[in-house]
Amino acid sequence: MKKLDKRLLGLIKHTKGQFIAIAVVVAVGLMIYMSMSSAAINLQDTLDDYYQLTNFADIFVQVVKIPEKDIPQLLSKYDFLDIEDRIVLDAPMITEDENERATIRIVSITDEDRINSLYYVKGNPIRDKDHDVVLVEQFARARGIDVGDSIKFQLNGRQYKMNVRGIAASPEYIYLIENEQNMLPDESKFGVVFVSKEFAQQSSGLIGSGNEVVIRLKDGQDHSVVEKDIEKGFEKYGLKRIIRRENQLSNRMISEELTQLRNASGSVPILFLCIAGTVLIMMISRMVKKDRASIGVLKALGYKSSQIIVHYTKYALSAGFLGVLAGTILGALIAGGMTKIYIDFFNIPILKINFYMIYVAWSVLFTGIFCGFSGIFGAKGILKIMPAESMRPEAPKSGKRIWLENIKFLWRRLSFSWKLIIKNALRNKKRMAFVLFGVILTCSLMVATLNLVNSTISIFDEHFSEFQKMDYNINFNTPLNKNVTKEISHIADIEHIEPKIEFPFEMRFGLRKKIVNIIGINRDTRFYDFRNLQGDKTYVSVKGLLITENLAKEMGASKGDTIRLHSFIPDRKDIYIQVADIITQGLGMNAYMEIDHMADSLLDEQLVTGVYLDSKDSELVSKLISADHISTIQSTQDMMDVFQEFMGLTIMSIGIIVVMAGILGFSIVYNATIVSLGEREMEFSSMRVLGFTKNEIFSVVLRENMIITIAGIILGIPFGHVMGRALGNMYSNEIYTLKITGSLKTDILACIFTLIFIALSQLATFRKITKLNFLMALKNRIS
Amino acid sequence: MNTVLRVQNLSKHYEMGEITVRALEDASFDLYEGEFIVILGPSGSGKSTLLNIIGGMDTPSSGKVYLRDEEITDFNEKRLTEYRRNKVGFVFQFYNIMANLTARENVELATEICKTPLDIDRIMEDVGLSERKNHFPSQLSGGEQQRVAIARAVAKNPEILLCDEPTGALDYTTGVTILSLLRKVNKEFNMTVVVITHNAAIADMADRVIKMRSGQIIDIKTNQKPIDPERIEW
Ligand SMILES: Nc1ncnc2c1ncn2[C@@H]1O[C@H](COP(=O)(O)OP(=O)(O)OP(=O)(O)O)[C@@H](O)[C@H]1O
Ligand SMILES: [Mg+2]
Repeated sequence: MKKLDKRLLGLIKHTKGQFIAIAVVVAVGLMIYMSMSSAAINLQDTLDDYYQLTNFADIFVQVVKIPEKDIPQLLSKYDFLDIEDRIVLDAPMITEDENERATIRIVSITDEDRINSLYYVKGNPIRDKDHDVVLVEQFARARGIDVGDSIKFQLNGRQYKMNVRGIAASPEYIYLIENEQNMLPDESKFGVVFVSKEFAQQSSGLIGSGNEVVIRLKDGQDHSVVEKDIEKGFEKYGLKRIIRRENQLSNRMISEELTQLRNASGSVPILFLCIAGTVLIMMISRMVKKDRASIGVLKALGYKSSQIIVHYTKYALSAGFLGVLAGTILGALIAGGMTKIYIDFFNIPILKINFYMIYVAWSVLFTGIFCGFSGIFGAKGILKIMPAESMRPEAPKSGKRIWLENIKFLWRRLSFSWKLIIKNALRNKKRMAFVLFGVILTCSLMVATLNLVNSTISIFDEHFSEFQKMDYNINFNTPLNKNVTKEISHIADIEHIEPKIEFPFEMRFGLRKKIVNIIGINRDTRFYDFRNLQGDKTYVSVKGLLITENLAKEMGASKGDTIRLHSFIPDRKDIYIQVADIITQGLGMNAYMEIDHMADSLLDEQLVTGVYLDSKDSELVSKLISADHISTIQSTQDMMDVFQEFMGLTIMSIGIIVVMAGILGFSIVYNATIVSLGEREMEFSSMRVLGFTKNEIFSVVLRENMIITIAGIILGIPFGHVMGRALGNMYSNEIYTLKITGSLKTDILACIFTLIFIALSQLATFRKITKLNFLMALKNRIS
Repeated sequence: MNTVLRVQNLSKHYEMGEITVRALEDASFDLYEGEFIVILGPSGSGKSTLLNIIGGMDTPSSGKVYLRDEEITDFNEKRLTEYRRNKVGFVFQFYNIMANLTARENVELATEICKTPLDIDRIMEDVGLSERKNHFPSQLSGGEQQRVAIARAVAKNPEILLCDEPTGALDYTTGVTILSLLRKVNKEFNMTVVVITHNAAIADMADRVIKMRSGQIIDIKTNQKPIDPERIEW
C-alpha cells in the first residue's frame, strides 16, 4: 500500500484543481450548514438564558382584584415555585405635542424584583418609591428619553411627573406589543414604565391588592392541570384571563420567528449539504472515469480491485476533509457574526455564542459518508475494468448516429463545428449531465431565492393595495355604540367610513387551540377584497367565519368545519361557528365575520371597537386625537412600516440564503467546468497540434457550454419554482404568509445571474486553453 | 531537388536548476521535396525535441528553421498555429484521436480548418478504412487507429508529414503495414515524410537517414537503394 499512497500524493498534486474544487464544494456546503445551524441554536440558547436569568413567568393571570395577603397561601396551596402579585395599567402619556397619542403601560415591581426581573442597561433601580420609574429600553430609545429625564402620564384623572432612574430590558417585552389588536411593535407609541408597587397601589386605588399574578412553576408541574386549578381557585378574584408563557405576546412572536429560523436552518443547510454531496459524487466518479487507463495499469501490475477502490476513496476523503477543515472554521466564524446580527433584531441584552462541536462531528460524519460513498461508487466501475481494455479510450455508448442527424434538412444546414459540438455534447452524456446538473442547480437556486425575495417585497403591495384598502385603521380604547361612526364623520373630512369589531378569541378545533383576532365588518365592505383559495371573490356572511389560509392550516380546519370559540370576556359561554370559506391573506392570521352577526352572537350588544376610513384630510390625525375614546390611529403607511420592520429578520435571513446560494451556485458551475476541462486536456492538445487556434477551441467549448446552459436554464426554472414554494412555506408564519408566485422578471434575473456565474467560470476554461502546454499533455498520456 | 525545409544550427537547452540539459545541440540539415527521411537514435537522444520544433509545437533556444523561404522560428503564436494548420501533419506513437468522433469525423476535424484539403473518401480508401469510417476509435484496433491518425494528418495535404514513433505501440506486421502506408502516401502525393524511430531496421526503407546521439546529429546518410517496407525485418 505504501506505493499507492505515494501515488495518491502524486495524484493530488497532479489534479490539484479538481482536488481543491471538491474541497470547495464541501467547504461551502458545510459553511452554510455550520453557520445557520449554530446561529439558530445560539439564538434559542440566548433566549433560554435570558428567560432563566430574569426568571420569566410561566403563567400570567389577569384578575379584577387580588389581595396581597392571599399570595403566600396560594403559593403553598398550589405548590408553585414562586408567585407574585402586581398591578398592570394602561395610561395615556402626556407629551409636548398634544396631537400625539402614546400609551404607556404601568407595571409595578418590587425591590426584590423576583419574577420577570429587569435587566438594567442604564441607570439604577427605583429608590424614591413615589417619584422614580424605570423605562423599558426600546421606548426610551425610540423617544430619546435618558436617565434623569422625566416622563408624564395621566392615571385615574391625575397627572404624574416621574423621574426616569433606570432604563431596562424586560423579558416580557422583548417585543414591545400593546395587545392582540396591535400585534406589531411601534416603539415610540407604546412603552412600558416600571413603578414601585406602593406608587401603583396608591395611584390606582388598589390599596393592598394587585390586578395580575405572575407564577413560576416547578419543574414537572403540568401546565394544563395548573390552568384548570387556577380557573377554579381564582374565580373569587374576578378571573379575567390566564395566559401561559407560550401565549404571552412577546414570547409568542419570538417563538414564531425562532421557529421559522429553526425551520430554515434545519432544512436550508441540509439542502445545501445534499447539493454539495451530489456534486461530490459526480465529481469523484468523473475523475475515476478519467483515470481508467491508470487503473488498468495498476490492475495489470497486480493490485486488487479493493485496494484500488480504497485508493480512490482515500483521495475523495482527503479532499473532503480539507473541505471540512475550511468549512467548519469558516462556518464557526460566520456563525458568531450571524447570531449577533439576529440578536440585534430582538431586544435581548445578552448574547451567548457557543461553538457546537456536534456540528463539527456531523460535518465530519456527513463528509465521510458522502466521500466514502462517492469514492466507492465512482470507483466501482474499476471492478469491471479489464487491464487491456482500460488502455483504450472508452467508446461512446450511443450508436453511430445521433438522432439529430436523421433530421436531414436541419443537419445539412449546420456548419461542421456545430455538428462537432452537438455530437460531442450528445455523445458524452455523462460529462454533459454533470455540467448540466450544475447549471440546473444554480439556476433553480437563483430562481427559488429570487422568488422568495420578490414575494417578500410584493407581499406588502398586495396586502395594502389589493386586499385591504382603507387609508386608516382606528381603534377605540373601549367598545362604543355604532353611532360613533356618524360622530367621526362630523369631526373630519371623511370620504368613506365603516365600523369594525375586533376581538381576540381562542379558537378550538379538535385538539388544536389558537388565539386569533376575529374582525367583524360590513358585508358590502369597500375596504376588503376577500378571495378564496380558488381566487374567487367571497364575502362575510351570516353563514359563518372567513378564516385565513394559514389559520386553516394551523387549526387543521377546512371549509364547512365547525369551530369552537372561547371568549376572554368573563362568564361567557363558548360558541360554535362554521368555517364559511378560507381566504388568502399575505399578512396576519385572522378570521372575519359579518359585523352584526358577530355583535349578536359574540357580544350580545351592537358595539364597535373601531372604524376603518378613507380620508384626504391632512389634519385627520390631530382632529381625531382630540376626540374621546380613540386609542390608536394607524395609517396604511404606519402599518406597512411596522410590518416591514417586523420582517427585517426574515428579509435578512433570506438575504443570507441568496448570498449562500450564489456562492454555492458559482462553485458548482465552476467545479463542473474545471472537472470537465481536466477530462478534455488531451482533446484540446490534439486540436492544438492539428492547428486549431486557442480561440477556435474556446469557441467550440463555449458553444458546447451554451447548449448545456440553455438546457439547464430551461430545466432549472420549473425546478426553482418548486424549490421556491418549499422555501416560502418554510418562511411563512403567523404574521405573514409567503406565497411564492414566479414572475417573468425574477426568472430573467435568475437567468442573468446564472449566466454571469457561467461566464465567470468560462474564464477558467479560457485560462486553461490559453495556458495549455499541449506537448506536456500529449507526453503525459498516462497520469 | 527542391529544399522544403532547412534546419540551421538548431539547439534546445533545458535549464534544470544547476544543470543544463542539452536536448538538442547545433543541428543542421535540409529536407527535400518528396523525400522519405528516418531520424534514428536511442531514447533520449533528442529526436522528439527536434521534430517538435520543426512541427512548430516548440521553440528552440537558438538556431533557425525555414520552410521554403519563411523562417518559422521567427513566427509568432498566431502564425505558428497557421503553420501547423496548413503546412505540417503530425502522427504520434499514441494515436491521440478523439474518442467521441468516428474515424471519418476525426479526419474531417482536420480538413475542416485547412486551406487545401484532399478528398476525405479517397484518403480513407488509401488508408484502407473505407469500410470502417463510421466506427469509433474504441471499436478499432491499434493499427487501425494509427491509420486514422495518418489519414487525419495526410488529408490536410501538408508539405511535410512528421511521424514520432508511429509504429512504437504496434506489433511487427501492423507496424510494417503502417510503414508501407506512409511510403505509399509519400509516393502518391509527393509528400515529404519524416519518421522518428530507434529501430535501425526501419532506416533501410528511407531515402536518407539522420542519426542522432545525445542531442547531436552524428551522421546523415543517403540510401542508394531504399528497400520495400514489406521486406524490413526486426
Ligand atoms: N521539458 C523538458 N524538460 C527537461 N528536459 C527535457 C524536457 N523534454 C525533454 N527533455 C530531455 O531532453 C532529452 C531529449 O528528449 P527527447 O524527448 O527529444 O528524446 P527522444 O529522442 O525523443 O527519446 P525517446 O526515443 O525516448 O522518445 C532527454 O534527455 C530529455 O530528458
Ligand atoms: Mg521521443
